[in-house]
Amino acid sequence: MTTNVPVIDSHHGTPATGKPNFLNCSSGLMSWAGTLDHKRIGVMYLVGTMIAFLCGGLFALLVRLHLWEPHGMLFSNADYNQIFTLHGAFMVFLFVIPAIPGSLGNMVLPLMLGAKDVALPRLNLLSFYLWLTGAILATLAIVLGGFDTGWTFYAPYSLYTNKAVVTIGLAIFVLGFSSIFTGLNFIVTVHKLRAPGLTWFRMPLFVWALYATSLLQVLATPVLGITVLLVAFERLYHIGIFDPRLGGDPVLFEHFFWFYSHPAVYIMVLPAFGIISELVSVHSRKPLFGYKLIAFSSIAIAIISFLVWGHHMFTSGQSTYAMFAFSFLTFFVAIPTAIKEFSWVATVWKGSIALNSPMLYTIAFLIIFAIGGLTGVILGALNVDIHLHDTYFVVAHFHYVMMGSIALAFFAGLHHWWPKMFGVMYDETLAKIACGIIFVGFNLTFLPQFIMGSRGMPRRYATYVPDFEAYHRASTIGAMVLGSGVALMVFYLVASLLSGKKAMQNQWGGVTLDWHTPTPPPLENFDHPPSVTTEVYDYSTLDLRTTQTPVS
Amino acid sequence: MLALLIQDPAKINYIEKPAPRPEVDAFGQLEKLASTFHDVDGLFYFTYAVCIFFFVLITGVLVFSCVKYRRKTFDQPPASNTTHNTPLEVVWTVIPLIIVMVMFAWGFAGSIDMTTVPYEASRNAYKASAKQWNWTFSYPNDAAKSYNEVWMRVGKPAQFTLESSDVLHAFYVPAMRVKRDIIPGRFQTVWFTPTDIGEYHLFCAEYCGENHSTMYARVHVVSEADYLKRPWDLWEDDTPEKAVKSAASLYSSLCSTCHSINGAVGVGPTWKGLFVKGPDGKITGKQRDVLVKGEKQTITVDDAYIMESVRSPDAKRAAEFPNGGMAVFPPDQLDDRRLKGIIEFMKSLAEK
Repeated sequence: MTTNVPVIDSHHGTPATGKPNFLNCSSGLMSWAGTLDHKRIGVMYLVGTMIAFLCGGLFALLVRLHLWEPHGMLFSNADYNQIFTLHGAFMVFLFVIPAIPGSLGNMVLPLMLGAKDVALPRLNLLSFYLWLTGAILATLAIVLGGFDTGWTFYAPYSLYTNKAVVTIGLAIFVLGFSSIFTGLNFIVTVHKLRAPGLTWFRMPLFVWALYATSLLQVLATPVLGITVLLVAFERLYHIGIFDPRLGGDPVLFEHFFWFYSHPAVYIMVLPAFGIISELVSVHSRKPLFGYKLIAFSSIAIAIISFLVWGHHMFTSGQSTYAMFAFSFLTFFVAIPTAIKEFSWVATVWKGSIALNSPMLYTIAFLIIFAIGGLTGVILGALNVDIHLHDTYFVVAHFHYVMMGSIALAFFAGLHHWWPKMFGVMYDETLAKIACGIIFVGFNLTFLPQFIMGSRGMPRRYATYVPDFEAYHRASTIGAMVLGSGVALMVFYLVASLLSGKKAMQNQWGGVTLDWHTPTPPPLENFDHPPSVTTEVYDYSTLDLRTTQTPVS
Repeated sequence: MLALLIQDPAKINYIEKPAPRPEVDAFGQLEKLASTFHDVDGLFYFTYAVCIFFFVLITGVLVFSCVKYRRKTFDQPPASNTTHNTPLEVVWTVIPLIIVMVMFAWGFAGSIDMTTVPYEASRNAYKASAKQWNWTFSYPNDAAKSYNEVWMRVGKPAQFTLESSDVLHAFYVPAMRVKRDIIPGRFQTVWFTPTDIGEYHLFCAEYCGENHSTMYARVHVVSEADYLKRPWDLWEDDTPEKAVKSAASLYSSLCSTCHSINGAVGVGPTWKGLFVKGPDGKITGKQRDVLVKGEKQTITVDDAYIMESVRSPDAKRAAEFPNGGMAVFPPDQLDDRRLKGIIEFMKSLAEK
């Protein structure tokens, strides 16, 4: 795919021993806190979002434990409402939205483009600090009395509750800007910093996916910012936007909220699709099936996603015509999504499939996403959704997408680029075991939720009708299994940094530009400015020796 | 289990008096349908079958590939380098498109049935008033109300007008496949025809605050003969004893979500000790601190104070609950006779 490939240098010519990489080129707290290097910023995002994920996960375990008994086992109703809200808010705003673009996107995007850094490194650092500010504000909101509105902040409850809604609103406002700046940065980077010869249709699909995501971040996030500001103003100054007692309209809030939050689903999931596209190809050592269709389907999904927000409101009393349009367009999103799934499976077909841990996470993704996507089709049907709306069926569906697909894709990507970023390998055996535990635990947690949801168990319930006890208990056991799998993953990843074996120069045999830098990459990524002369995912150019040569 | 139990199970009406466990339909995924909305079940199982088909197809090809084409040596090349197959790609675009369009049309047609109230149902109109955290039901051509329980005639289409006086709620009867958000400041309607005699769950499906999960009602579908006995109108107050008994049952269906009678702290003040019994057996109100427009005053509990607290709860807030939050019960939801009965019930709790 490329000429001037620096990795080749390390085989004939001077060994790269002691050459500084981005991790050891400078040290001290300030060299990290003030860094403009996209890889270091990516590492900081990784640490931050993983901490948020573990907090959110802890809240989830508390929720599941509480629901062991129909009358609730651990908390009062009021405390339970806070815990599930915290789970949702932390996971969505601090983990799922920023995790992949912030950490893996930051680390890998410039490498894939053959660039020294993102186009606007200072803005990149600002994005991270805005994320951090948002995280601190969210934590502050817990200290200031918490918030019990659900992550959706539906008015008018969010206007009446005496909790720290304004603080968490401010946190979301700030996090929104973090997201917008990252998106802006990536758009500019993709347009301006592609290596010579790297045409649009030679870009790896992770880049395409991040590009589509960035468009959504820039266009949709301001609406959320305005919405939370309006809620804050309404709470502080009693202007009647959403409060019916003041002449406002609570349904308007739902429209505003979902106008952002539906595209936000794709802000979350498109980068995951990108990772899977990369990994399926690399670990099958086969060019991706239907490259252009996948690239276009990302853009198609990004556009249609702006037009389907009303499907979150099928029971809110929208007009028949609105229901018609929203349901129709919702089914339409299924098509580009199905094309992606089919193309991935077709890529695996007749590949040379390495069953290493990133690929196992990818396979887990493909199975779980099939369920998550297909159950979305069930929910798109208008009359069926009337029955299933706001039940555990919806909860299970979006966890199959958010946790089972997006988080698993994130883990897959993390395992895939870990040796590239840190030059060390985690324990592969443990990684495979953890992947298995996570897969089993996940399905045990959420499959029962589909059944109890379709049988009528409403969501956000601190206590429940005893009919559903068996399902809840199965789900709670599953959550514990899932939690232990994640704990094992965190353990061996951290352990690898302390005592991991040396990774290979090109651990998995990738041919995109990110695998043509030294491992770990030096400060400005490439020893020689790269250029691209071949098509993307052309494995005939792969130098297999690089997959067998440890990092020096 | 753990000794961390905070919730009092007896306070949750569906745990104290569980409704019969709903029957499950033949496929085991839905409660047995008890209304005429067959399209919901039909389309659900149709999409379900389609989903299972595609899931098996995808997973089958995936797992087969992983076994068959597993990389055994590090330099094993792929068995094929095909990146395009136009007929295949057209097929897997067009066939799902046709299938989802069928689902869309079926779902839309079904939803029109569910949202268009037939004339017969509109002549059998109930009202469901939702507030934090209880349901009040009004009956067609009947002045009596019922709380957290509603009785309906089997086989007769009924319409419910839904209203909320505080936040969002949702009216959800899983066995009937009916759900509609209730939005303060608007009237919403749902209709359905109950087809089977029995008792069914009615849940609040839109998060509405602290006791969202206990905002529950029982739907009794009864025969015409049983309906004519007006089982919801159990109120008797010919004698003080009967009034207290009726009020006790009203208390447990309506007031007990927030107010205890044993001194336990709930969402609102307990009723224990509101009145005390003197040595001569005379019942008098206790002194208590209240907030009037934020300022603390000490008053003596009497009938007028209780009436005011029900009709306009924010006039005098109990000092221990400075944020208020009690739902308003105007006379058309809780008439004076019943309110007087409730006061008698409070007095009956008085101890020496």
